[in-house]
Amino acid sequence: MSTRPVILLDGDASSPPEVLGHKGHGIDMMRRNGLPVPPAFCITAEVGARYRAEREATVNAIWDDVLAGMRTLEAATSRTFGRGPHPLLVSVRSGAAVSMPGMMDTLLDLGFSDDVEKGLAAEGSAEFARDSRRRFTESYQRIVTGPAPDDPYQQLRAAIESVFASWDSPRAVAYRAHHGLDDRGGTAVVVQAMVFGNINANSGAGVVFSRNPMTGANEEFGEWLPGSQGDDVVSGTVDVQPIATLRSRQPGVYDQLISAASLLERLSADVQEVEFTIQDGALWLLQKRAAKRSAQAAVRLALQLLDDGLIDEAETLRRVAPAHVEALLQPSLQPETRMAAQLLATGLPAGPGVASGRAYTEVDAAIEAADRGEDVILVRNHTSPDDIHGMLVARGIVTETGGATSHAAVVSRELGRAAVVGCGSGVAESLAGKVVTVDGNQGEVREGSLQLSAWSEDNTPELRELAGIARRVSPLRAHARGDYPRLDRHTEAEVRSAMASGHSDVVSASPLLAMLAAIRLSGVS
Amino acid sequence: MTELAVLQAVRLKGRVSRDDLAATLGGDFVDVVDRLVGSGLLLDGPTLRLSPEGRGRLEGLLADERSHVDTAIVLAAYDEFRSVNAEFKALVTDWQLKDGQPNTHEDVGYDAAVLTSLDDVHRRVTPTIAALATQLPRLSRYSVKLQTALDNIHAGETMWLARPLIDSYHTVWFELHEELILAAGRTRETDDA
Repeated sequence: MSTRPVILLDGDASSPPEVLGHKGHGIDMMRRNGLPVPPAFCITAEVGARYRAEREATVNAIWDDVLAGMRTLEAATSRTFGRGPHPLLVSVRSGAAVSMPGMMDTLLDLGFSDDVEKGLAAEGSAEFARDSRRRFTESYQRIVTGPAPDDPYQQLRAAIESVFASWDSPRAVAYRAHHGLDDRGGTAVVVQAMVFGNINANSGAGVVFSRNPMTGANEEFGEWLPGSQGDDVVSGTVDVQPIATLRSRQPGVYDQLISAASLLERLSADVQEVEFTIQDGALWLLQKRAAKRSAQAAVRLALQLLDDGLIDEAETLRRVAPAHVEALLQPSLQPETRMAAQLLATGLPAGPGVASGRAYTEVDAAIEAADRGEDVILVRNHTSPDDIHGMLVARGIVTETGGATSHAAVVSRELGRAAVVGCGSGVAESLAGKVVTVDGNQGEVREGSLQLSAWSEDNTPELRELAGIARRVSPLRAHARGDYPRLDRHTEAEVRSAMASGHSDVVSASPLLAMLAAIRLSGVS
Repeated sequence: MTELAVLQAVRLKGRVSRDDLAATLGGDFVDVVDRLVGSGLLLDGPTLRLSPEGRGRLEGLLADERSHVDTAIVLAAYDEFRSVNAEFKALVTDWQLKDGQPNTHEDVGYDAAVLTSLDDVHRRVTPTIAALATQLPRLSRYSVKLQTALDNIHAGETMWLARPLIDSYHTVWFELHEELILAAGRTRETDDA
């Protein structure tokens, strides 16, 4: 064993994400920089890997260290785990070396007993204590799959084991396969003192981005939900509010949050996504990661970070994957167009693609409209076999009920129609007669006929700027025109052979893509 | 009896050509169709569809058919169908999507596993349809149509799994689901979608 099995995340952990997990590493980094983060310790990914081979013995061997970790959390919070009068509750979260959002398990509000509920009721309110216990019981039941034991330490142990085991859950395995991540190893586990966004009206939870990860605009972006815990925001089941409403409600907290996000962005040299909780007017940061972003934002943000001096030119080019540029060159709904249009309904994205037209709720009317040459969107409570002729003439399909395996979903995919299903009752009535755009990639219906557009290497300023940088950094300079050998395609094989032939300049139909390939091949640093 | 079969087939298909109607019924019912068109119960054209009167007539015939059945047997069959329905719908989705992306059908092992579970579904649904047919003989036709689709899939024509507009396994399955909902006196709103 090369490291201690349990490491305090007090800003002094000095271990890489491979040991602490991505989440634990982020928490330690935030603590080191004096940000308000609830005390936490992590069980290393090495233990997680060992657990997969030998379950009981692995947990037995580290249990004393876990208990010692709990003593530090108790000391740091002046609370006691498993009993009152000031009980400590903890969250138990997964944390692989590379962030896999939502793929593995998280348990909140651990450490309940009747005595603990009484203690929390006395400190907050009976309603708050009951709400927290309900959240605990439900999530424990769902994730550990069994009723929660009365002993808080048994809860803790079962939760830790459940998170370790979730490394091998089908969704986590599929995610790693899809993203080409290493399947060996295991997950670290972070145990952190709970803070409560559900304790009173002066509380809440949310997520904030240091810049807009959809459009790539240099403006803070995020959402939160007053009086809630973080899982409410992530689950998407409750209506969240834009982060701007926090500015008007709690300006001090808002300023502190934005400057923390901006500090983390500077320290990480990348746009950050930060999960936070406000407990009775006090801000707490729970975790941070590099923000997931659209292809548009990937390009714009890389150029902004270069302008801001946070990254150099070679790194700017590494931040843009060839797949981002390829996606941008295809016609798609641009994020700024999408965000500017009124959102009319959300549901499950069931058939990929984007389509616009007038919403019809009856099959015969839809067929007549299509016969007149109208673009038709069919909106139904659900679809049945006899709706097929309406689905055939429609460019997009929306339903009120039904999931990913519903008739509407299956048939839309067969027909290649953009489809959003399960948008909730009343949607057919509210959409009827309107011109709408169905976004089967995002699972949204928006007002109006939104135009798709594509970026081009010639005419889009961001791509021209990026190509200019690439010409300075790449070992192979590619040009749209000029008196140079011609590169027929921008595949790695072609680029490699051009470089092997000693060419420094070529002509290519996609100069930027050719240079991104060359940079990746040569490993410029 | 034939009139009911024709009207119900047209209702389930929404709009259907005479050829496709003959295919789904497993025989040519030119005389019945002509009579139904003549009496205004079916609207003729490139495709046939029900007139409002035809819909009323069909509802009467279905109610009459239902009045002779042993409800307990139908409800038991309905419950059995529901238990296998979720499995079938999941496998169709697995066929279309792999790891959340459109299935390119390049992974032969993956596709074979999905089709093996279809065999399992078929083994489970066949006795359910047989039990139903003791009460509603008309429905025994669904066993034949499912078997035909399955045979085509086994012969390598996998479009017979989910393609709409032909009597693919998914098309027949959903029409059978509609029949069961009707026979059990339920609605799609109280059932799943």
